[in-house]
Amino acid sequence: MKGIVFTEFLEMVEEKFSPEIVDRIVDGAKLASGGVYTSVGTYDHAEMIRLVSCLSKETGIPTSELMKVFGEHLFGRFSVLYPRYFEGTNSSFSFLENVESYIHVEVRKLYPEAELPSFSCDASEPGHLRLTYQSTRPFAPLAEGLIRGCLAHFGENADLQIEDLSAGAGTAARFVVTQRDARRE
Amino acid sequence: MSSIEQLERRLERERQARKAAEAIAEEKTREIYDANVRLQQLNNRLEELVGQRTTELAAARDEAIRASKAKSDFLASMSHELRTPLNAIIGYSEILLEESEDLVPSELRPDLEKIRGAGRNLLGLINDILDLSKIEAGKMDVFLESFDVVALLDEVGATVEPLIAKNGNALTVNCEAQLGMLRSDPIKVRQILLNLLSNAAKFTTKGRITLTARRRGLSGGDGVEFEVTDKGIGMTPDQLTGLFRPFSQADASTTRKYGGTGLGLAITRHFCRMLGGDVTVDSTFGEGSTFKVTVPDIDSDTALAAPQPVWEHRVVGTVLVVEDGREATKSLAGPLTQEGYRVITAGGGADGLRLAREGTPDAIILDVVNPEFDGWEILRLLKTDTDLCDIPVILVTVLDDRDMGFALGAAEHLTKPINPKELLRLLARVQRPEVAPDVLVVDDDQSTRAMLRRMLVKEGWRVREAANGAEGLEQLARAVPAVMLLDLMMPEVDGFEVLRAVRQAAAWRDIPVVIVTSKDLTRDELEWLRGHAMDVFQKGAYSRAELIATVRAMVDAARVASSRMVPPGRGGG
Repeated sequence: MKGIVFTEFLEMVEEKFSPEIVDRIVDGAKLASGGVYTSVGTYDHAEMIRLVSCLSKETGIPTSELMKVFGEHLFGRFSVLYPRYFEGTNSSFSFLENVESYIHVEVRKLYPEAELPSFSCDASEPGHLRLTYQSTRPFAPLAEGLIRGCLAHFGENADLQIEDLSAGAGTAARFVVTQRDARRE
Repeated sequence: MSSIEQLERRLERERQARKAAEAIAEEKTREIYDANVRLQQLNNRLEELVGQRTTELAAARDEAIRASKAKSDFLASMSHELRTPLNAIIGYSEILLEESEDLVPSELRPDLEKIRGAGRNLLGLINDILDLSKIEAGKMDVFLESFDVVALLDEVGATVEPLIAKNGNALTVNCEAQLGMLRSDPIKVRQILLNLLSNAAKFTTKGRITLTARRRGLSGGDGVEFEVTDKGIGMTPDQLTGLFRPFSQADASTTRKYGGTGLGLAITRHFCRMLGGDVTVDSTFGEGSTFKVTVPDIDSDTALAAPQPVWEHRVVGTVLVVEDGREATKSLAGPLTQEGYRVITAGGGADGLRLAREGTPDAIILDVVNPEFDGWEILRLLKTDTDLCDIPVILVTVLDDRDMGFALGAAEHLTKPINPKELLRLLARVQRPEVAPDVLVVDDDQSTRAMLRRMLVKEGWRVREAANGAEGLEQLARAVPAVMLLDLMMPEVDGFEVLRAVRQAAAWRDIPVVIVTSKDLTRDELEWLRGHAMDVFQKGAYSRAELIATVRAMVDAARVASSRMVPPGRGGG
């Protein structure tokens, strides 16, 4: 998992909870990296799971909820850090349709070793976008948070339905985004 | 856990993270540097490769240019080497055919015809291949001049007549009355029409072949559209594709059945396009084909003007043309002026008589049948006037009133439509003094000289021979001939040098020189020759009759000129 996810996660925890919580979860998670992360490095994704699980214990908030919140936060950070991926997109649909075909392609150019989830999308029905997340890692809630962050970024009113495709494992899910206007019709 | 310790731990994490980031940055930097070095090496290698390839290409190009030059030289010399004996074969078979009626058993005639036919076919083939290779080498030049379209059509019609008749076909030539003059390359137009007509004749049996010419507005100006229609075997759409490509006929079985190389149409299209026009075809299988050719009038301002032959300014005689002047006067005046005659025209009887008295013409051409005046009456008046009765009169008529004309004192008789060459021949004949003219033949090929001698002697001329340029000049020094026939490619002193010497010497300057060559001439050579010689018979693509007619016209013209120089009393008019 790319270091940016870790550094952003810890910064969010520090900001939304406290530096003490950060210190505690880093210590409690017994990380191989010792919690030393740099955004340009690559780290074991299991460390993220342990960090979230520690944070859940510290705060009493379920891990999936924490993941979603982090996803929403992360999307906002992406828009600040990587504005070039937002050029030419003016809606959540156009951005989300680009994730697999453009953004992941560009990421692979810079980090050939990156293991990215697949994120296929189907926009055949007007006003509806079906995104299917598939990964070897259980980060479907993080993906959900990112989608919500995306809708918020473009200021759109849309409904999001989530269908778990991995029997609670979090490695596969279908997200159906429905524009509010389309739904009324 | 104190906050100080907490901060220290955090600081330590941050420090380590920074170091990790620095290590990654350094590693990436090295990777980028290495990649750059590899790229640079690749680039250098590429430049080296490009340089090497460029050198190879330049060498290949030089080699191709050398090969192409060698090919051109080979073709030029082959053309000369092949045409010289071929001309002899064709020329002798023509002579034999003409004389064979009395001397050769009649069963040998078909054999002689085969020799002549095969010789002509071979010559045509050699010419086609040379034309095509010249076109491909970009060495085919366009020679622009203004020419009379109707006269060209007449000549083309006469040339293809035997070919048309061979399969029992008939040729109809339709042309508008006002076709007038066209500025283009007449040799190429002629060849285009001959190609299309001989194709039509080849693929049609017992049918009608039509040649139509009309004035037409073309893109970029005015021009003439020619159309050759036959009722022959026609072509399927498949056969039409690739029709104009070299070495392609409608299909291979066509070649077996009808012969030919499939070069004719390729050359035709090249020529059409060189002249700024095009050729199109419309055909129905089993019903026949129509080829349409457009030839634009090439504006003299934008095109290279052909040099005016120096000979045009030499007046060899004065001819009075008495005609109603509606259409034909112009077509009479053209060839006469070109041959050096001064032409006076009279539009009616009174004018005619007055000009006959004032202009002291050497001959009068009189149209006896026209709605404007009575030609017979003018003829009677001319012949009863003591001052005018000695001027020879050539009658032009649509009626076959030869006897009446001769009875009234006409010297010669012509029927419409008038063939310019025939007119010139008659004109010369009516003024001919009784000395056998002398023709000098300068050619290094013995059989060509002998052949020309036989042709010329048969016409009643005296012939002197010279086997090379030096001998030719010696012969000139001995006596000035009426006409000189001159080959170009000869050892030691070649034809160009002879011609240059002739035109520089005051005593020889006016000798008409006819070039008879099998050399493939360049544009520059041809232009130079046109300015220095009377006529150029090239490529062996002329018939014996054409050469004789030209020599005769020159002999006659020379005679007229000399007769005008002698004191009154001895001269003919």
